Amino acid sequence: MDQHETTRRDFLKAGLVTAAATALGSGIVKPVGLWAATPNIKGPIKIGYLTVLSGTLAGYGEFHKMGALMGVEEINAAGGIAGNKVELEIRDSTLAAPACIQNARYFVDSWGADFLAGVDSSGQALALAPVVGELDRVLMVTHAATEKLTEDEVFKKGIKQVFRICTPTYQDGNAAAFVAKDLPVNTWATINPKYEYGYTTWNMFKDTLGKLKPGVKFTAESWAPFGTTDFRPHINTIMDAKPEGLYSVVWAGELITLVKQAKQAGLFDKIKHVMFPVGAAMDVLEGLGPEMPDNIWISGRYFFLYPDSDRNKEFVARFHKRWNHYPAYVSETAYSTMYAFKKAVEAAGSKETGKVVDALAGMELDSPAGHRVFRKEDHQAMYEVPWGLTKADPKYPFKIMGKQIVIPAKEFFNRPPFEGPGTHPPFKDSK
Amino acid sequence: MNQYWKYFLMLGCLGALVGIGFVSGPFVLYLATRIMILCIFALGYNLLLGRTGLLSFGHAAFFAIGAYGLAITSIHISAHPLLGILIGVTAAALLSLCIGFFCVRHTEIYFAMLTLAFGMMVFALIWNLRSITGGDDGLYGISRTAISLGIVNIPIRKDYQFYYFVLLFFVASVFLIHRIYSSPFGLALAGIRENHIRAEFAGLSVKAYRLGVFTVSGAFAGLAGSLSALLESNVAPFSAHWSHSAEPVLVSLIGGLQTFSGPLVGSIVFVALREVLQRFTYNWMFWFGVLLLAIIIGFRGGIVGSISDAFRKYSRP
Repeated sequence: MDQHETTRRDFLKAGLVTAAATALGSGIVKPVGLWAATPNIKGPIKIGYLTVLSGTLAGYGEFHKMGALMGVEEINAAGGIAGNKVELEIRDSTLAAPACIQNARYFVDSWGADFLAGVDSSGQALALAPVVGELDRVLMVTHAATEKLTEDEVFKKGIKQVFRICTPTYQDGNAAAFVAKDLPVNTWATINPKYEYGYTTWNMFKDTLGKLKPGVKFTAESWAPFGTTDFRPHINTIMDAKPEGLYSVVWAGELITLVKQAKQAGLFDKIKHVMFPVGAAMDVLEGLGPEMPDNIWISGRYFFLYPDSDRNKEFVARFHKRWNHYPAYVSETAYSTMYAFKKAVEAAGSKETGKVVDALAGMELDSPAGHRVFRKEDHQAMYEVPWGLTKADPKYPFKIMGKQIVIPAKEFFNRPPFEGPGTHPPFKDSK
Repeated sequence: MNQYWKYFLMLGCLGALVGIGFVSGPFVLYLATRIMILCIFALGYNLLLGRTGLLSFGHAAFFAIGAYGLAITSIHISAHPLLGILIGVTAAALLSLCIGFFCVRHTEIYFAMLTLAFGMMVFALIWNLRSITGGDDGLYGISRTAISLGIVNIPIRKDYQFYYFVLLFFVASVFLIHRIYSSPFGLALAGIRENHIRAEFAGLSVKAYRLGVFTVSGAFAGLAGSLSALLESNVAPFSAHWSHSAEPVLVSLIGGLQTFSGPLVGSIVFVALREVLQRFTYNWMFWFGVLLLAIIIGFRGGIVGSISDAFRKYSRP
């Protein structure tokens, strides 16, 4: 009897598998549009956008979405790209590499995307680079900051489909060192994230500052794992070391927590010079509101009050009208990405990847964040983002950048070939 | 009659799987490959959960060791995929033998918590051994080089080639796990699940059996990990995180714990459902959760279990 039951059950199971397999096969094969590359630009231009829309960092995804959508709306209202409508689809790619890769494959192989953009975490960007190389689509990275993406994947390994429109870790490490060299600080300490981003930026800061200001000392390090909610032990470690300056690339919600707890502990009274390379992110400024202390050095990948140009002012005004928010840096990078694609496709007269890559490499772009140039060698956009001191302003319910320092991109961006003398700042040709 | 049907359907399934490789577009191939890899992971896992009644929350660690084993081999020693898989599976089996040694003396919640703790230790090690594992960036750029077998080279670079490569491992795994399932060893495991005290009185070395099946399921997790590293061309530390260990648990629950083919059906539902939901809503995670709950509560004994129950009732009025 037992024997019978097993066989009948097996029969059913096998049947189910077949049914499911065929359903899966036919169900998903059908909607696949046959995308054939044509010499002239035909049909809508499809852009697949990868960002995090779930979990604790979902707010970042929302800001990506606002910028990207507004860019597409404007472009379409003005006649599209070379007369073609732009279609945008956004998918929640979490912060995990497999989700990001699956979505990129869906966009290209099933939905028929011509371009990809977005990507939040560095791990995702590094994992995705060889995949977009194989899928042969341009990927414009708008948030992930690891310098390995452009230095190793694009420059050394030659994955030419990858571009980046936001500032990389150079802004957090090298540019911070240029600001720090003029401060009356001889001992620095850090509370940094206990992952690659934290290690890389702190090392970059130490290297560059050490060269710019020999004799400066780095006295304490405290590494906070991803998802830290209690920074008090880290704050105590740092305060015990009594440094003159604190450097921290802790970001988003964790930075809000860190600042609140540091304030309670009186850290800002003891340590006068504090640098938050990603402190100018809108989620942090809005989240802290008046609780953000004055005279803290902050920066980001874009700040909505810089540059003081018409292009930027109009963008901020339109953005505020459309979404009732000030644009976060990812909003600007997402928005400008749409215009970068537009300019490149129209210059190339084609949406074929190879031709667009050629058009994008070395291309100049006027964007809200200012004048960008996509460096030919590593496809990194060169542009400036200021470093500034926080101050209150009656016009805004949060702190803004008061005194601003702008370091020219060519002075602090690592230079190709990225290894050997003369590739890391400070450079001899810039004073 | 029943036997005929069974073989007929199995052949049909195999034919369908082979057919998918011929007719499908690259994205379907990619998803199908992912499903097969998840099947291997979940089938091996269900030997432990469904057959032996041990709930492990540490199997992501073995998956990750398999993946990192292949990745490190491929980067530092040789890019031969078979060598990488061999090393990945061996490493996973050895690790599960070691971890299992400490865990199998406990059952139920103690066993689950111990495996969770060991699993998270592995996760922490991978996260912190930056010079070897690349920290949170993981290891990336693992290439699918051709399998060189002396005089012939079999390429697996293209999607459909790799699909058949994984299909081979999938069929072999299903066959092997089915053999284990219905072997005297597998029956003894079921006996242990039903009443481990009685099993002990019957002269079975319960701990040895548990350790055996723990190692076997760890090795299959390692195989799934190695294959997934080849598929995605990268490995990240979160593949060792306990939340990844929940995947085979869910897959087994969806399909049916007490059935052999439950994890197969569960894997298809798990991957396809998420993909379909993402086409309709950004809020896919919420609906995914709701639907999983509905399936787990609505289908007692999983999809396969409840359907075969219904079929049995229907055919025997």
